[in-house]
Amino acid sequence: MMNKTKALICVIIPVLLAYALNTKFGDTPPLLKFLNPFTGFWQNAEATAVKLNKKIILKGTHQNVDIAFDDRMIPHIFAQNDHDAYYAQGYVTAMHRLWQMDFQTRFAAGRLCEVVGRKAIELDRYQRRMGMVYGAEKSLQGMMADPESRVMILAYTQGINDYIHSLSAAKVPLEYKLLDFKPEDWTPIKCALLLKQMSAVLAMGSDEFYMTNIRNKFGTEVVKDLFPDYPFREDPIIPAGTKWDFKALPVPEAPAPDSSILTENIRTKEKEEGIGSNNWALSGSKTASGFPILANDPHLDLSLPSIWYQIQLHAPGLNAYGVSLPGAPGIIIGFNQKIAWGVTNVAADVLDFYQIRFKDNTHSSYWYDNQWKKTTYQIEKIKIRGGATEMDTVFYTHQGPVVYLQKPKDFSRSNNIPVGNALRWIAHEKSNELKTFYLLNRGSNYNDYRKALTYYTAPAQNFIFASADNDIAITANGKFPLKWKDQGKFILDGADPKNDWHGWIPAAQNPTVKNPERGFVSSANQSSTDQSYPYYINWEFSPYERGKRINDRLTVMTRATADSIIRMQTDNYSIHAQNLLPAVLKMVDESKLNATQKEGLTIVSKWDKYYNANSVGASIFDFWTKRLQEDIWYDEFTVANIPMKYPSRDRTVQLILNEPNSKWIDNVNTPARETLNDLVIESFKFACDTLERRFGPIGKDWEWANVKHTNVPHLAKIPGFGSKPLMIGGGKMTINALSESNGPSWRMVVELGKSPKGHGVFPGGQSGNPGSKFYDNMIDTWANGQLYDLFFMQSADDPSAKIISRLKISKK
Amino acid sequence: MVFLIVLIASFLLQMILPWWVVVLISFASCGLVGKTGKIAFWSPFLAILALWTGVALFKSLPNDNVLAMRVAEMFGVRLWWLILAISALLGAIASGISGYCGYHFRKALLHKKAQA
Repeated sequence: MMNKTKALICVIIPVLLAYALNTKFGDTPPLLKFLNPFTGFWQNAEATAVKLNKKIILKGTHQNVDIAFDDRMIPHIFAQNDHDAYYAQGYVTAMHRLWQMDFQTRFAAGRLCEVVGRKAIELDRYQRRMGMVYGAEKSLQGMMADPESRVMILAYTQGINDYIHSLSAAKVPLEYKLLDFKPEDWTPIKCALLLKQMSAVLAMGSDEFYMTNIRNKFGTEVVKDLFPDYPFREDPIIPAGTKWDFKALPVPEAPAPDSSILTENIRTKEKEEGIGSNNWALSGSKTASGFPILANDPHLDLSLPSIWYQIQLHAPGLNAYGVSLPGAPGIIIGFNQKIAWGVTNVAADVLDFYQIRFKDNTHSSYWYDNQWKKTTYQIEKIKIRGGATEMDTVFYTHQGPVVYLQKPKDFSRSNNIPVGNALRWIAHEKSNELKTFYLLNRGSNYNDYRKALTYYTAPAQNFIFASADNDIAITANGKFPLKWKDQGKFILDGADPKNDWHGWIPAAQNPTVKNPERGFVSSANQSSTDQSYPYYINWEFSPYERGKRINDRLTVMTRATADSIIRMQTDNYSIHAQNLLPAVLKMVDESKLNATQKEGLTIVSKWDKYYNANSVGASIFDFWTKRLQEDIWYDEFTVANIPMKYPSRDRTVQLILNEPNSKWIDNVNTPARETLNDLVIESFKFACDTLERRFGPIGKDWEWANVKHTNVPHLAKIPGFGSKPLMIGGGKMTINALSESNGPSWRMVVELGKSPKGHGVFPGGQSGNPGSKFYDNMIDTWANGQLYDLFFMQSADDPSAKIISRLKISKK
Repeated sequence: MVFLIVLIASFLLQMILPWWVVVLISFASCGLVGKTGKIAFWSPFLAILALWTGVALFKSLPNDNVLAMRVAEMFGVRLWWLILAISALLGAIASGISGYCGYHFRKALLHKKAQA
């Protein structure tokens, strides 16, 4: 008996040991599954010496494909037909970025619980309740209905899957091993989900909940005063005074004013100024070469693996270079032999909330147009790792999904979403954005550009364009609902048909300008037009400072070269400081300051208004003016249980400069009556004291780069997989719009001409593998504000490119 | 003897099977030919320590240990070779214990037979 027990124990111990070391507990990876050198992370350590040439046989191709990788591991694909070009794009993108593609689309589809367990449940519910999958399914219909985009998406999918199927356990990307899940097959819906996620990042902004609260609390006059429909200072994208050469459709009729919209509560949150971008194009009349130069830098939340993937696609009728999104075929921002194009976000109001009156608690019908109308519903099945599948019912009205019937606790994404409201969102429309890029990649002139744009729905972008024919143009482009003025500035009554969207602004009438007299076009997310545009797009856009600086610089520029444009992309000059600093400096009474504050005042008075890396003035000014804005608005606009937003920076500057006696300046929470001077001094002292507390005595540690602490984190925030802190300048309101980890995710400058010259860089590298030297090899160049010369190859053997490796794919 | 069996079998079988095959190999080899409890622990222990260190270095050195450094930072240990040591030691301990258990498993069975 003794021995039987002993024998049993001798078996049980090794089994338990093997099990324990092979299992994920909480967030701890399965230890030896991850650490063993045969299939664990060691296998992802890529040799720094790159293998030269490789041949593989893939039955998915139609003809031979040659892929040349240059010295930054950028693939140049030479295919003999469209199918093979996108097939190869899918294959190499998966080779470098599989985990990122998989993770991002799982995120989009609300399927994170499947791999990380219950902790992501609110996020998964949110993604589904916002209708991400619903929108992706509609988009997919649009993409599959068109023969060209259908080929793109199917070939791309097949390429990805052929790569996945070639993977051994040892070669699976690192993060799978860490999070302990396996790659699953790619499907066309994932391409659509990825594009929907871009819409979610760029066009999910919604202030109507806050605005409704503000209107209910302060009344319409205050809204008109503090939240005006056009900014105090503006420099619109389509130059002011541009004539509209079309006959506008009649604007739909607005319903009678309605203040019955009731909202309830959560905390006020200041909107982060993060999503933004710059682009501009100079006509040949302003460049040294006599041909246009085009520049673009889209600002996003930076991450490793990099957001973008560089690629050149070459096939009959196609030779384009630029950046793609891992998970979507084609090139989003780039150039070809004849044209170059780029994008910045248009802050169009394409998301509205409708307050719904349900008949009863079954939510099966709602009041609309004086009768009860049936809702539909969808049951979302959320699979949870290590738990039972959860069912979540989402009701849909004709407007869209009712996002919340009950607000989740401690989930910040839900802050701006009113309970019991249906969501009407452009991303739920049937669409085919891929077709736009298919046509742009192959375009050769202005007309091709205009035609390509008509296929585009969302997220709306300022598409900039330049061609070797010496045309430049910009179009605020997307599918814009035809709305009455301010429709959707506040929550809408879902019972009134007048609040529905009534058709669309015709694509040809989207704001556009070709070859304006000033010799350049530009955008930086500011208002699309002046106030003469006959349609309503939104009441508020990004502040104008970046756009103004770009236009100031371009106006005086002559004989521009790529170098002067590249330098301009990292311009750190602050128009905001130019507008505000002289006025507030005058209000500081030096006698009320301590020694550090006095020294701070001296520094900021002498400051050149550049947010440079070594500038102490920039740090003080930044803390100072942010605090001043808080001092002015906090007391009125932060009320428990009534979430609101602050008036814009533009409106705040207007108040400081022109309305020093405004009633908003007094702090209503104190018996004393504060003046603007009091607030300016308080905020100045606060700025200096905060900096001193956080960074020690005034000196080197107060320098802007140290204070800002720019870094590029890993996509899943895994420590050790992000970048080191980067000591660089820039700020959200300068052209070089770089904050802590949001900023230029791709910088591109293209010189058009007989043969185009491209320059580009992104903060990261081509490979998504933290064990590859190509994971972050471009980051320092990016941080230094330099761009690489891009190899625009004419053939697979083009000797002008530095090729370090080749991959030949053949059918047999 | 056990050392060589574990070393060679583990090297070959891990090419196609998961890492825990080393637990089986250690158990089986010590169960069949393990001479003493001491040997049954230390032979598989040293074999896997050597094998895993070797294979890890074979992958990591041409990588300039870049990835090992990142993983070290993730685990909060800062030095890349500590991750190497942890990996190899954990594997070695698991094998050593399995070897020891294998040996005593045989002893228990033999004892039983002898009794019977």
